[in-house]
Amino acid sequence: MARVALIGNPNTGKTTLFNALCGARARTSNYPGTTTTIRTGALDRHQHIEVVDVPGLYDLHHHTPEMQVARGVLDAAGRGGADVVVIALDAANLTRNLVLAGEVLAYHRPVVVALNMMDLAQRRGLALDADALSKRLGVPVIPLVAREHHGIERLRDAIAAAAADGLVADSPADLPAGHLSLEKLTEWAERVAKAVTDESPRTAQHDSWTERLDALFTHPVAGMLAFIVIMCGLFWALFTLAAIPMDLIEAVFGQFASLLQSALPAGPVRDLIANGIVGGIAGTVVFLPQICLLFFLISLLEDTGYLARAAFVMDGVLSRFGLPGHAFVPLLTSHACAIPGIMSARLIPDQRDRLATILVAPFMSCSARLPVYVLLISLLFANNPLFAGIAFAACYLLGASAGLFTAWIFKRTVLKGHSRPMVLELPSYRRPSFTNALLTARDQGLAFLRTAGTVIVAICIVMWWLSAYPKVGATPEADALRAHAANSVSQQQTDALLSEADALDARAAQAGSFAGQLGHVIQPVFNPLGFDWQLTVGIVTSFLAREVFVSTMSVLEGGVGTGGDDGVVNRIRQMRRDDGSPVFTPATAASALIFFVLAMQCLPTLTVTRKETGSVKYAAMQFGYMSGLAYIAALITHVVLQTAGVR
Amino acid sequence: MPRSPKPVPLTNLRAGARVKLHEARVDHECREWLRALGLTDASDLRLCKHGDPCIIQVRSTRIGLSKAVASRVFVLDGPTASEP
Repeated sequence: MARVALIGNPNTGKTTLFNALCGARARTSNYPGTTTTIRTGALDRHQHIEVVDVPGLYDLHHHTPEMQVARGVLDAAGRGGADVVVIALDAANLTRNLVLAGEVLAYHRPVVVALNMMDLAQRRGLALDADALSKRLGVPVIPLVAREHHGIERLRDAIAAAAADGLVADSPADLPAGHLSLEKLTEWAERVAKAVTDESPRTAQHDSWTERLDALFTHPVAGMLAFIVIMCGLFWALFTLAAIPMDLIEAVFGQFASLLQSALPAGPVRDLIANGIVGGIAGTVVFLPQICLLFFLISLLEDTGYLARAAFVMDGVLSRFGLPGHAFVPLLTSHACAIPGIMSARLIPDQRDRLATILVAPFMSCSARLPVYVLLISLLFANNPLFAGIAFAACYLLGASAGLFTAWIFKRTVLKGHSRPMVLELPSYRRPSFTNALLTARDQGLAFLRTAGTVIVAICIVMWWLSAYPKVGATPEADALRAHAANSVSQQQTDALLSEADALDARAAQAGSFAGQLGHVIQPVFNPLGFDWQLTVGIVTSFLAREVFVSTMSVLEGGVGTGGDDGVVNRIRQMRRDDGSPVFTPATAASALIFFVLAMQCLPTLTVTRKETGSVKYAAMQFGYMSGLAYIAALITHVVLQTAGVR
Repeated sequence: MPRSPKPVPLTNLRAGARVKLHEARVDHECREWLRALGLTDASDLRLCKHGDPCIIQVRSTRIGLSKAVASRVFVLDGPTASEP
């Protein structure tokens, strides 16, 4: 098995090149010991050759995580090391790209140069002589337009030949030996580029388009407008468009579970399979549409070159809180769901900034919190739509503010250090590649299922088990109702009585389950917030998914569902504590609302945080400070309202 | 026309100015990033857009700089540059 490292500057079409060489069978994984992702795949028609796509980097001088991965791949001999290096160069940007090439040639490995984006160079009026470049560098140079698969065959053959020969060319004669400064390397690169390039007068014309688009996208007003439109589109797609496959997934799995219920004999095994396992898998797969759609759209946006400009639009606002402009997409996405939001933090070049963004992303009010907001705000402001609307907006504002404030604190304390300065290459604008976007979406979806997905299935099964066991028998009241129903004359009355009996049993089952018992046990902790044991059980069960809170409260209420949200809200409004007083006093509803805005109640999110940060420590930190902040804020709310006479 | 000997920050220049890098009075990390992108010592650059972000072109690389960074990049302006 031969190993080929694909190295190059960012924005050289390396992803397209890699996909053309072996994309269909690529795997995304973390480079050992880092959270930097690399892609590996088998070279088409040469299955014994493995290609590793090393993250784009500008040179081997500059100490960055990408440089460490590249060095790791280049330095290591044998296992993990590279037998052949393919250097991807951007033909339209040759000088800077050749700096990295010069450094790589010094490693004395068999090298093949992929001179990509020849079409872009041609449009710019640049005529490159690949043969001349090959003579200057002393290695094969294959001109390509990777996006159209021009030259891919030749490149594949050249790689196979290099792997078979193992021949190492001498360093270029005019490249001085020894450790070279960037200045010396740049001088050499400039000489080589000049020698092999013929510039035509058309060069200036192409750049004017770039100038005009940049003027638009970075304009204080027009740029912000364009940004808002594009981000609204992105958010709409995630919130609305993704809902279609998500609903479909829930429906299909629901049907499947019903099928199993009728097909398998009653008992714990059937419950485990139909409710636990199938429910667990459904609860994991349901995240896929948003993840895949998000990465598809981000890939398109990044490919066009727009994202680099967009980062500057937001940088002015976000940098006040210690976050980079790049953090906008993850934070916006987290308003739909924090899981794809946290995964998309990969966009952020600086590791510390990325960490800060991941840690605060769950503060953004996600769509799972919506049913809870609707319920609690309806309880608070039943006949006052104006106040209800204001309360809604205030919840979103509270979440976002808490997130930004926390990021500001973290950057000054736990994550103190130099952030990457706001200096970005602005790549050429170009037509995005749908193939790349589809492959990225697929890779990210599969990576999610393989890693976080397996943990989330386990969590779902455990949470199901906590609510389902221990089994409690039918309650005496329910049995009485069933006896009554047996003697009833009208079908309607029979149905109503049986429903009531089932609801009473469901309530007893929830209360008597491990989750219910846990609620009873930890209730004293939540007493100062005004929560009784039923509300506490609701909090416990919503650790799997926040929206479960509404159904748990509904079950605990024990009444018969009359259908529709109004029915649920009214029933829950009438819930009583053990002493007969209402569960949801205004003070309690308010403190519960504040708690839900700020608390970390999503084990799947914690799983993804752990995976993306590579450490349990950060997931624990996220859980700790969010829960602490939520508790304190809810406590203050409850105490203040009670003191003010609102009971 | 002789070049003005006094280095000026990028933020003082108009779009289109062709200048030579004199000194980047930024921290080490920032200087390394600028060099990695091609802004090596004494390199020639063209100011494409001033303001926030400031956009410069070094050889064929377009680089966006925040205003904060641009105000600390000092260049020697040539005859074509002018004061705002």
